[in-house]
Amino acid sequence: MHPAGRAAPWAALAFVVLLYLAPVVFAGSPYVLYILTLTLCYAVPAIGLNLLFGYVGLVSLGHMAFAGVGAYATALLMKAGVGVVPALAAGTLGAGLIGLLVGIPCLRLRSHFFIIVTLAVGMMLYLLFNNLDWLTGGAAGLPGVPRPQPLDLGVATIDFRLSEGFYWLAATAFAVAFAAQYLLVRSDFGRSLAAIRQDEALAAARGVDVFAHKLAAFAISAAIAGLGGGVMALFLRAVAPLSFDFMESINLVLIVIVGGAGYLYGPYLGALLFVALPEFLRAADQLRLVAFGAILLVLALYAPRGLCGLAALIGRRLRHTPAGAAADA
Amino acid sequence: MPELLAVEGLGKAFGGIRAVDGVSFRIERPGIYGLIGPNGAGKTTLFDVLCGRQAADAGEIRFEGRRVDLDRVHRRARRGFARTFQECRVLLEESCRDNVLFAAQDKRLGREGLQAMLRSGRARRAARAEADRLLDLAGLARYAEAPASVLSYGQRRLLEIVSTLMTRPRLLLLDEPASGVNPTLLNALHDFLKRMFAERPAVFIVVEHNMEFIMSLASEIIVMHQGRILERGTPAAIQASRQVIDAYLG
Repeated sequence: MHPAGRAAPWAALAFVVLLYLAPVVFAGSPYVLYILTLTLCYAVPAIGLNLLFGYVGLVSLGHMAFAGVGAYATALLMKAGVGVVPALAAGTLGAGLIGLLVGIPCLRLRSHFFIIVTLAVGMMLYLLFNNLDWLTGGAAGLPGVPRPQPLDLGVATIDFRLSEGFYWLAATAFAVAFAAQYLLVRSDFGRSLAAIRQDEALAAARGVDVFAHKLAAFAISAAIAGLGGGVMALFLRAVAPLSFDFMESINLVLIVIVGGAGYLYGPYLGALLFVALPEFLRAADQLRLVAFGAILLVLALYAPRGLCGLAALIGRRLRHTPAGAAADA
Repeated sequence: MPELLAVEGLGKAFGGIRAVDGVSFRIERPGIYGLIGPNGAGKTTLFDVLCGRQAADAGEIRFEGRRVDLDRVHRRARRGFARTFQECRVLLEESCRDNVLFAAQDKRLGREGLQAMLRSGRARRAARAEADRLLDLAGLARYAEAPASVLSYGQRRLLEIVSTLMTRPRLLLLDEPASGVNPTLLNALHDFLKRMFAERPAVFIVVEHNMEFIMSLASEIIVMHQGRILERGTPAAIQASRQVIDAYLG
């Protein structure tokens, strides 16, 4: 089974609980909370891309554009007075639908042809964001996305005048995407996807409709990216085309690779490194790419399966150390 | 009763080479059928066309009375076709048990989606028990948890065959199951196939170059030569056939 399939359910649950506790732990530091919220905003689309890249083995170089579809849809609906939950749901479904439509022609292509077409799709969507002034506000984007109304959950109320409110919203979106990823990769569907990645001809000979499975994975992946975009729009309270351009899509691929493609926790780790590292180093925005390039090089050489792959390797080494040798040391 | 498998005027050309050139045959009863012929006779191409990996240029394939030659690979697989590959294909990252379980799972998208939400424990345990039984029969029980990548080439062939049998095929196409398999494992393979056939009779078609192996395994032999069917008969009759000997010796 794939590495992520082996992840223990209790560990996954503990991880999500820890995420929810972050505002309590960092109660006195809104800056840390801001960083962690932004991390979640990138981690959600990264989960979407991870499903596609890590499990099916398809590289999409335009995935942030699907996040953009979710962001614009959510922002427009919020501005029209729709509630936060239906607006996010619509953004998610909208991105999934665009993913489905785009996937039908693209997935007929193989390997590098597919990659190049996803690049083109990302650029096309960016051009639409940038030029459909009447809908997207053009290059200026859509400022002033309204603050969501407080969400009454019965036991507690999420108030969006506090930064905790946005954090919990992002954490919930992340938990939904994370749970979807967890269920999908452990299911028979996930096994079929892994089989496609390993050997398409074999998967087909065993009864997998390769095209339909890839298309379903692509649409789900785009929908999750759209959810992340929607949360980003709410949190930053503005949408601009530059957040969803070609470079951002490349960054998303880097996040997935650095975190560990095909691992459940990879997207979060990658996003944390990508968002938090330059903030804590107080480096200029441009230096982030330099630092990330260097990290990528080191990982490619020593840990081709990303941070999660590295952690799994270290875990195995430690466990395989004979007990006697450990006692002697 | 309609025949199980009917192939009529099947053709497949690559450029100027007619790999399969007007092949017609019928199989009325379940059985183990050997498909032999010199290198380049078109056996693997015939398999590829039968299971849908390659589209035929001409002809028709009917299985259990229904035309299947327009169906794509996965549709034929869901109708009971299973095959192994000459180059031997298994999922190297998955454990042997997962390889076998993957073969058996219901691969319709809707079912897989439902399964992600509602996992039926009983069905799962039954599939797992059956997978373990087959692995044990094939002598692979101790590798159940190990990734397929640790197996030797011969063991991978066995695993591939176990996987196809797990699907309860009605038409099983085995492409050179004995090649690269050592003599001890070959006996195990021979007994395993005989046993599985006795357990669930179906149409087994076996392409093989190892004459001793195929002649003792198959009840009937089909000989191909230059894209056509040269002769068909019992192993004894084929071994005595002047025509077949000439084809092999060129």
